[in-house]
Amino acid sequence: MAAAASSSTFPPPCHHLPQLHQNHTKSLSSLFKPKSRTTKFSVRPLSISPKASLSDPFVLQIAETLEDSNSSSSLKQSPILQKLRESSSESILSLSWPTRKDEPFRFTDTSFIKNSQISSISADPESNLVDFESDGGDDTQTPNIVIVDGQIVNSLSKLDELPDNVYVGSILGIDSDEIREEVMKFVSNFEDKDLFWSLNGIGAPDVTIVYVPSDCVVEKPLHFRFYSHETSEIGSSNLPMSNPRVLVLVEKGGEVGIVEEYLGGAEDKCYWVNSVMEVLIGEGGKVSHTYVQQQAPSAAHFKWTSVRQESSSTYKLVEVSSGGKLSRHNLQIQQVGPDTITELSTFHICVRDQTQDLHSKLILDHPRGVAEQRHKCIAAHPRSQVVFDGNIKVNRLAQQTDAAQLSRTLLLEDSATVNMMPNLQIIANDVSCSHGATVCDVDDDQLFYLLTRGIDLATARKSLIFAFGTEVMSRLPCDSLQKKVERHIQRLLDPTPS
Amino acid sequence: MASLASFSTISSSSAARLSSLRNSSSNSFVLTKSSPNSIKLLSTPPRQYKRLVLKAKANSVIDAPTTSYINDVSDSPKVLLEVKDLTAKIADSGEQILKGVNLVIYEGEIHAIMGKNGSGKSTFSKVLVGHPDYEVTGGTVLFKGENLLDMEPEERSLAGLFMSFQSPVEIPGVSNSDFLNMAYNARRKKLGFPELGPLEFYDYISRRLKIVNMDTNFLNRNVNEGFSGGEKKRNEILQLAVLGADLAILDEIDSGLDVDALQDVGEAVNELLTPQKSVLMVTHYQRLLDIIKPKFVHIMEDGKIVKTGDISIAVQLEKEGYKGISS
Ligand SMILES: Nc1ncnc2c1ncn2[C@@H]1O[C@H](COP(=O)(O)OP(=O)(O)O)[C@@H](O)[C@H]1O
Ligand SMILES: [Mg+2]
Repeated sequence: MAAAASSSTFPPPCHHLPQLHQNHTKSLSSLFKPKSRTTKFSVRPLSISPKASLSDPFVLQIAETLEDSNSSSSLKQSPILQKLRESSSESILSLSWPTRKDEPFRFTDTSFIKNSQISSISADPESNLVDFESDGGDDTQTPNIVIVDGQIVNSLSKLDELPDNVYVGSILGIDSDEIREEVMKFVSNFEDKDLFWSLNGIGAPDVTIVYVPSDCVVEKPLHFRFYSHETSEIGSSNLPMSNPRVLVLVEKGGEVGIVEEYLGGAEDKCYWVNSVMEVLIGEGGKVSHTYVQQQAPSAAHFKWTSVRQESSSTYKLVEVSSGGKLSRHNLQIQQVGPDTITELSTFHICVRDQTQDLHSKLILDHPRGVAEQRHKCIAAHPRSQVVFDGNIKVNRLAQQTDAAQLSRTLLLEDSATVNMMPNLQIIANDVSCSHGATVCDVDDDQLFYLLTRGIDLATARKSLIFAFGTEVMSRLPCDSLQKKVERHIQRLLDPTPS
Repeated sequence: MASLASFSTISSSSAARLSSLRNSSSNSFVLTKSSPNSIKLLSTPPRQYKRLVLKAKANSVIDAPTTSYINDVSDSPKVLLEVKDLTAKIADSGEQILKGVNLVIYEGEIHAIMGKNGSGKSTFSKVLVGHPDYEVTGGTVLFKGENLLDMEPEERSLAGLFMSFQSPVEIPGVSNSDFLNMAYNARRKKLGFPELGPLEFYDYISRRLKIVNMDTNFLNRNVNEGFSGGEKKRNEILQLAVLGADLAILDEIDSGLDVDALQDVGEAVNELLTPQKSVLMVTHYQRLLDIIKPKFVHIMEDGKIVKTGDISIAVQLEKEGYKGISS
């Protein structure tokens, strides 16, 4: 994919440009004017002022808030982070807050964020830890990384079992020049994806690095737990925003499992998590990625997963997303060599007035790739909104690709909104591709079968609804996690067990 | 084997019914039972019926409850299922499939229905268990004296009616053990017993598996998913073994089975039979009837039972085909 820097493509073809407001140039300039207390965070002077006048005031306000908080923290010294923030700030200038007129957000209503006052996170995560300790516990077997409001909490993390030369930790703690160099390469090669990607780049207080050297196999999956400590009460207009960022670098022949778990904690809290994970898999490398999203019912959750696969590499994703009021996952996989294997299994469920959105894009440009995507989705509440925009593109050079895309939605309430846009584009001519998309209710024959065994209607339905998701949940990597996630989904389907 | 022996006692007492049935021109026959005992039972709702049995169990300290019950039966066999002039159509298309089915099954009896493909055997079976694809347009069905057609499918099951499907549906995502556990607990709940947790149930089910000659890893697989034809049939009989039934309708449990599997499944059914339990099997082949021996064989044709007799009909059928049978 041509990773066009924002400055070279303007205006971006599909962005909806906001009206021009002269007075916003002022806030913009204040954004990029080095502040007195940010002496070490100097930003290149920008030579793109005409564009600046087109910027979205709401977006700039967020950017400014995020920048303020980071410039006051001690982490600003890292040249890598500085570089990331610069590039991100630059790209923000041409981006506006999405509206329903923008294709990628046509079916996703983000107005509740827009109507909030976005605040940044200021507290030091190490200072307020008590709440999180009880939660994890059950799989002390695996390496654990606890990230609170975007920052690693070392006292809660457990990383002593990792093989030598594997690095997991803050970007600031890298002590090998080689790793630092590798990391720098990718941060410098900033790709402009969308507004939320860039906001994360400005707001990320740190970048957590997972570095797996050549031919190193990390046996136990790395278990990331993300918490939000700074929250507001429901009904308050204030929405604290955190920006966790993780970069996974797997060198040639390396293998690692990554589990990302987003946990909401208290039910009555409001916050916005805008998370980014970049995964770079070298030749023959393997990454098994698990993403579990269980944010609080009033939270906003934006997530970027950007994957780059070199030849003969394998990327497998299992996602179970059930939390948040608004949850959006942008998933992009780029194939940069032949013979890759990509397997995406995702399960979204709406049991409240909530939105679950998956936008995935898998681009195949090289021969003999295997791509398999299955997306399952349950709309169980009258006001639930599910969105799936899944694009698999098999380009001209991607001969002998084996691609399959299947999406199934279980629509349990007629008034729920389902927007499915599966899309398998095939340009190569020697490929084997299959696709299917269905929206249906619980299967009548299956239901009848259970009834004839004396199982009551409510129980029978519930077990079939649950079963719909097990195709994905059964792929979760470890038993204890699978049980935990299954229990969570069961609780959501049956909030008052008899 | 012991159970088969006691069946023969009942069969001799039903010979009179059989002959009266044969003479009936309209093919609808009237109940000839005159014992006041059985009439009383006919009007007893199944729930109370069950409770009576349970109470008997609870009270009898010395006598084994089943023994006293058997005595009761052999004195006066009770009607278990009574189907009168049953007509039904396909709900969607309105096509009439069942065109006046009549059938009476007494406790402890084994019946077989044979008939060409498409004659309505499966439809009849499914109508009895309340399949929503079909709409009953006329006639009555009493099960243990209660109007079966008024009951929901799950109530029919809990009342003691079981059907083994000709083509059992696959249910991905539901493990066989969870499914059986759920169904078994529904039974226990109905009887007022505490439900069994997965571990306790595993204990119970492991023993049942032997009846159908199934491996325990069967339990971890999803219901019927990827099962061979034979495995599906065994799984149906396993459900019968776990849940029990007063009347088991077995729709072509022999189709798709090799000789050994057929023997297994047939013997499993026999093992589950007690002198009160009844079976209605649908089959094309005599070989099943050689294992599970029916007292009555009915021939269904175009939505009706056109002929009723004993095993000799099946023998004749095997030799001459349906042409030799139809009158
Ligand atoms: N659900 C249904 N939808 C449409 N046609 C049906 C349905 N069930 C049964 N039929 C039709 O009714 C007739 C009887 O079918 P069935 O009861 O399965 O016969 P049998 O079991 O004796 O072979 C057949 O013509 C069959 O095609
Ligand atoms: Mg049939």
